[in-house]
This record gives sequence, structure tokens and C-alpha cells, in this order.
Amino acid sequence: MQKQTIISIKDISKIYREKNSRVETAALDRITLDIQEGDFVAIAGPSGSGKTTLLNIIGALDNATSGEVIIENISLSTLSPSQLADLRLKKIGFVFQAYNLIPTLTALENAEYVALLQGMPKNERRKEALSALKDLGLANLENRKPGELSAGQQQRVAIARAILAKPKIVLADEPTANLDSKTGSELIDLMKLMSKNLNITFIFATHDKMVMEKAQTLIQLHDGKIIA
Amino acid sequence: MSTFTKIAWRNITRNQYRSSLTISAVAIGLASLVFLKSFIDGADQQMVENYTSLLTGSIQIHKTGFQKNMGLEKSITEANSIFTALRNITGVEAAAPRVKDYALISSPESSAGILLYGIDPAAEKKLTTINQRLRRGRFLTKEDKDKIIIGKDLSDQLKTDLGDKVVLMSQGADGSLAASAYEICGILDAGAEDIDKNLALITIEAARDLLVLDGKISEIAIAASSLNDIDEIARSIKAKIDINKYEVLTWKEISPMTYQWIQFDQVFTGLILFIVLLVVAAGILNTILMSVLERTREFGIMLALGTKPQQITSMVAAESFMLAGIGVTFGAALGSGLVILLGITGIDLSAISSALNSFYIGSVIYPRLNIADLCVYAGIVLLTSVLVSIFPAKKAAKLSPIEAIRHI
Repeated sequence: MQKQTIISIKDISKIYREKNSRVETAALDRITLDIQEGDFVAIAGPSGSGKTTLLNIIGALDNATSGEVIIENISLSTLSPSQLADLRLKKIGFVFQAYNLIPTLTALENAEYVALLQGMPKNERRKEALSALKDLGLANLENRKPGELSAGQQQRVAIARAILAKPKIVLADEPTANLDSKTGSELIDLMKLMSKNLNITFIFATHDKMVMEKAQTLIQLHDGKIIA
Repeated sequence: MSTFTKIAWRNITRNQYRSSLTISAVAIGLASLVFLKSFIDGADQQMVENYTSLLTGSIQIHKTGFQKNMGLEKSITEANSIFTALRNITGVEAAAPRVKDYALISSPESSAGILLYGIDPAAEKKLTTINQRLRRGRFLTKEDKDKIIIGKDLSDQLKTDLGDKVVLMSQGADGSLAASAYEICGILDAGAEDIDKNLALITIEAARDLLVLDGKISEIAIAASSLNDIDEIARSIKAKIDINKYEVLTWKEISPMTYQWIQFDQVFTGLILFIVLLVVAAGILNTILMSVLERTREFGIMLALGTKPQQITSMVAAESFMLAGIGVTFGAALGSGLVILLGITGIDLSAISSALNSFYIGSVIYPRLNIADLCVYAGIVLLTSVLVSIFPAKKAAKLSPIEAIRHI
């Protein structure tokens, strides 16, 4: 079955100019690529290659200096900040490098946070959150705060939070960076399974070889350009 | 409890030391304000009560123009009809007739200008406490046609004592020279200079005889059941008598200086309220600002996940409201408790009693709690806390998610 293009990136550039200076740095330089629905994509490259910048632009957290990002036939440049926030809420899930759970909420409350913002009824989101945590091996830990969970457990909660909102796309920025190799590998396998079962497009920014090996599509960046 | 309210509440308990300090600042600020206002109210109330109960009365009725320009030609001739009207007015506890005029008092040693009161001793006892201020001797009785009571300072000036004779001289209502001798039967120590130095009391009948008044009086002094209802009672009296002929004056008009002093106290209290609000606002602002700065990354994540800016604003404002709410609760309890306790025991200020007495305030002051004031102050402190939090709340809501996430 032919997959549809869910994200279309056309000639994206991101230029940073230092304050009170004419010095410009191109974090991204005319990037063009299409990402298919349900794909498991790794954007790899050394530090400073532009991986996170590209991910942030796809995730509508940052604006490109030039070029266009189209998600499900909607150009991000046509949306207002409020509409971009809405897009993030409804279509994009985030798994950050540093888990970034809300420290005052329990694992369960963190997991259901985005579903709460979407307006999912309490009983439904609670049920789904508990189920998601159980699937991720966190049964009986739902009432613990992030400070009481290990790094791997916190990352699983972050994944549960991203998935529960039923996004089309999940953007994961170095999700295994703070995990041991075994835990990291388990999590990637879990996400790959979710991608397959739920038809979610996963896009990773990573320099972890294990993640690159497990990806269906590998995009390599260097100095803001796609080299492979 | 909504998730945002939960986050707000849990953020307060996250840094208990800082939250406790802020709550304490609010609590102590409000408690101080409540106590100060209650103290001032207690002192003011005592001042008015003492002033009106000593001799003036709460309300006075005269012929129009008498207060401004006292004279026998402005005597009341229809006192009985006024007394009849007063009997049916709610709030009039007691009323007494008086004759008032300036006179010269003389002894073999000296003489002085005084204000002469002709009183009905029995009615006066129900109206004022002047009979309780005798240092020596006895109060007047109805039969005392040639007896006089003077203040201690006047007695000293005249070099007189109990049993001594003094002469009163004035002008009668018919223009004749009025003069008569009286025996001192009592010496007053009211603690007020205008009484102890400038006042003499004789019976109303003796005054009428001296001043050829033929049944007339100068004023009707009234004691009200409650000083808080004084204006309403005065309005009721005005509705029952001919206000073209008579003036009805409350103590505020009889002693404008006393009234202005009380108004000054209100201004002073307002100033203290402002200062307390500044301190509370600074405390709350500091706490919320620190809290927001510490959570920049957290807010960035929340915004990145799709939280609306106004939800962030509401959450921060809720934190401020909760902190202030707890502080206000403790402050109200502390302030009220202190006032209630000291309202029973009183605050002994004997060390400065001479200064207080000159303002008709006793040595022991009893703070008076006004629930309405407490609610208003608590509301103002609460509102100030929320308003002050808007700046850091807006700051948090306007964060760029990506910059906030990168914040260390």
C-alpha cells in the first residue's frame, strides 16, 4: 500500500544572526524532503548539524528563515501563533531529550496532560492513560512524581503523554541520550511497535547509532545540509 | 480540582520555606492593619463616648443661631412640646433641659469669666456622667436654689473651697443686671480643661431666677442609645419639630474639632493600609516572579505541548491567590483574636494618660473590631495580590516555547 506524504519540507533554511553583528550562521541550508505517513525516521548527524533545529521547525516551535513546511496539506507559514499551538496540540506529540515532565504532577497526570488539553473526558483519558502506562511497563507507578522515577521510567511517561493524544506525528529529540543502551533500545522498539500499530509517524533527531540502525528512513545532516 | 489548580497548589507547597515567608508577610501585614484600625476605632469611640457623656450629650436642640451666637434672646419657649415629640423618637434615651449663658464669677480673691449651666439635676444624671466627676462635695438637688458646683481649676483660681461663697453676675433676659451669691457645694475634676476651669453648675430654677427667664430654657441635651445612629436620630428629631425655629446639632457639629480628629484618624489608617499593601505586594511579586523564573523551562514545555497562554496566566494568578488567601485567613484570625483578647483586657496606657485625657480618652483603651473593615481589608489584600501577580503571569504566558525549553 502506497504511503501518503504527511510532511513536506521545501527548501527550508534557518539563519541565525548574532546581535550587533553581521555574522550569520546557517543552521539549515535549503533542506528539502518528504516524510511518509507511518514512517520511522531518524535525522542523524553530529552536534551542530541542525537536527534539533529541523525538528523544532517541523514541530511548529520555531520558524524557518525561508522555505515552507507543509503538514497534511497545511502550510505552517499560513498559520497564526495560536493556530500553530492548536496544530501542536492536535497533531504533534513531543518526546524531549530531558523528558520534561511537569514535576508537580504524578506519572498518570503527566501522561494524560495533553489529552486533558484536548478536552478528552476525564474517565476516558484516565482509562487510556492507565492502559498506556501499563503497556509501557509502568503499572503501579502511576502515582509517583517524576522525581521518584528513574530516567527510563520518566522517558516512558513522556512517550505515554505523546501517544495518548493520538497524534499523527511524534517528534523525539535525542530520546535515548540520557538512557543506558538497554533501556534506550527497549524504548525505541516500543515506539517502533506503536508506529506500526497506530500508524504514527515518528521522527527522531539522534546521533545514537542504535536508533539509526532501527530507523526505516535515515536522513543524515551535516552543517545544515542533507548529505544522505 | 482542575489540573491547573492542582499544579498551582502543588507549586506553592514545592518551596515551603518561600511560601511560608510570603504567607507570613501577608498574615502579619493584615493582622497589624486589623489591630491598628481596631485600636484607633476603640480610642475614637472612647473619645466620643466620654466627650458626649461627660456634659455635651449626643445631640443638642437650640433656637436657630444659638450655637453660633449664644444669647438669652434665643431661648426656647415651647420646651414641653419638644419633649413630647422626643418621647416618641426611637434612639432618644434621655433628654434634659438646660439654661446656658456667660457669666462672671467672683470670690473675695479673684474673678473669672465662665460658662454657666442651669441644670435639672435628676434629668442630668440620666443624661451625662458629670455627677460622677465630683472630686469633693456633692451634686446638686432640685431644692438647691443657692448652691453652685465649680471645676477644680476654677476653684484654685478663685482661691475657694467647699462652703465658700461666690457671686455670679450676668445680664438678665430683660436687660437688667443679674447678680446673686451661691455656696460651693461641689468641686469637679472632669479631666477636661474647659470644664474644670471654665464651668459652673447651678439648678435650672436658680438660673431662670438669676437671668429672668420665666420658664424658658437655652437648650435640650439628648443622649442617644447608639452613637452609630446619631445622624438618623437627628433626622428623626428634625422631622418632628419646626426646623425653621430650631437647630438640631449632633456632637460632630457641636465639637467639629473632635470630629475632624476622628476623620484624621481614618486618613491615617488609610495611609497605613497603603504602606501595608505595598509591603504585601512586594512580597507576593517577589515570590511569584522567582517562582516563574525558576519554572521557565517547565512553562516552555507546557506551551510546546499546546497549553494556551491564558491557561498559564490563570495558573500563576491562582498561585498568587492561594498564597494570599492562606495569608489573609491566618492574618484575619490573628488580628481578630488579638483584638478580641485586648478588647476584654484593654491596653493600659497609663504612662501617657495625661495626654490621652486631654482628648477625653481614658488610660485603658479597648480595641473595637469592625467585621466590615476586616472583610474590606482582607478583600483589598487579596485583590492586590492577584493584581500584582499579573505581571509575572503575563511574562510566563508570553514565553517563546523553544527559548524557554532551552533555558537553564
